[in-house]
Amino acid sequence: MAPHRLHLAVILFALLATGCAANVTVEQPTIPEPHIEQLPLSVAVRIPAKFNNFVHEENVLGRETWTIDLGSANAAFFKQLFSYMFENVIILGPDDNALDHTFDALVEPDIEGFEFSVPNQSKTDAFAVWIRYKMRVFDSAGNSAASWTVSAYGKSQKEGIGGSKALQRAAVLAMRDAAALILLQMNKATKISDLADGPLDIPALGAESVAGPDAPPEPGGSFGIFAIGGIDDEGE
Amino acid sequence: MKVNNSLAIVTAISLSGCVTARVEDAREATTGLNDGESVVVMAKSYHQGNETEADYINCVESALGRGSKGLNVIPNQNFVDNLFPWFEPRTAPADTKGLVKLMKRPGVTDAVKKMGVRYIIWLDGDTERVAQGGSLSCAAGPGGGGCFGFAWWQNDADYEASVWDLEGYETAGTVTADFSGTSFLPALVVPIPLIARTQSKACKGLAQQLRAFIVSDEKA
Repeated sequence: MAPHRLHLAVILFALLATGCAANVTVEQPTIPEPHIEQLPLSVAVRIPAKFNNFVHEENVLGRETWTIDLGSANAAFFKQLFSYMFENVIILGPDDNALDHTFDALVEPDIEGFEFSVPNQSKTDAFAVWIRYKMRVFDSAGNSAASWTVSAYGKSQKEGIGGSKALQRAAVLAMRDAAALILLQMNKATKISDLADGPLDIPALGAESVAGPDAPPEPGGSFGIFAIGGIDDEGE
Repeated sequence: MKVNNSLAIVTAISLSGCVTARVEDAREATTGLNDGESVVVMAKSYHQGNETEADYINCVESALGRGSKGLNVIPNQNFVDNLFPWFEPRTAPADTKGLVKLMKRPGVTDAVKKMGVRYIIWLDGDTERVAQGGSLSCAAGPGGGGCFGFAWWQNDADYEASVWDLEGYETAGTVTADFSGTSFLPALVVPIPLIARTQSKACKGLAQQLRAFIVSDEKA
């Protein structure tokens, strides 16, 4: 085989191979400054290690492999979100000892689930992304105060060939959906503002729950709120 | 040269598929637009199953703003960003009752006034392929290639625009556009596409009617 034909064969093979795999890298999303009143709280936010390098890989219908690299997008997103939400925010790394800091409440966000669908699956022209975040809230003494599941959804229509941009946009829209829900419902769902008055009036569950990265004991059950078409104000 | 250009234009027009159209409006309140007032075009939430295409919204936005009698249109992403988080797909008010409550939120009315938005136009609907048929086959060989056969398809574009007046926090009315277009693709060696631009015509038809609806001083 002549060298130029060999090169052509290699290029064709490479093109065919990349046709079965798609990589999507999500740039760090920013959210606009919200029209909400800041909560008068000093909050420590512990960013889990996986928020700095979150990669989701999935094989769709045995044909394409999609790799979605959120990188540090979640970490940047939560830092910005909480800085808009609370008067004072302290960012803690996964290995930082929370007891070295003074705060009213500690929030530990986590990703419980990440799913997506491509047009082949949904039989539409849209890519969709679902992200399930879990928000754990602790008081200043380390007691687990609340656990809240936030289910976010983003959808974007396919543009041009491939779908990397549409899937990337759907992921960003899902994060923005989570931001809207957290901004408007977190206080109602977790009663985090009550922690400004001091720690919960219950026997301490052990200071190590906020001091270290280990999973803390669950409080009296976790719950989720799902609201569409305007936010329900009843009970606020 | 001029004859050639004219011939090309006439051929292009005659080679498009046929589209049937129906555009109607239902007025509930008197409208009108003062100097410095704007409109914003939004899609109803996809959380509620709406499938309105992003390019259709862009098309209506630019069609409303085009020409000497064009309306002042605020790009919907600017509007949504300036009012974050109140007009996200999940949080946007579903009716004018929710709008009244939303406008009482701190900073919301000021942000709307700053942008000069008088009307929100909520788009609902999509373009769908409802029927198709025929068969077309193409082949290529060392001596050349070609296609033979006939294919056709029908697209329906059904859209509804609800107009909310931010002055009285009420629904001013709705404009609906139902367009149906059939495209043909006959092929005798060379395929000749006769495409019906259903969505594009639905965009122009709806935008034209919306513009007339908003600037009109007709009483409800």
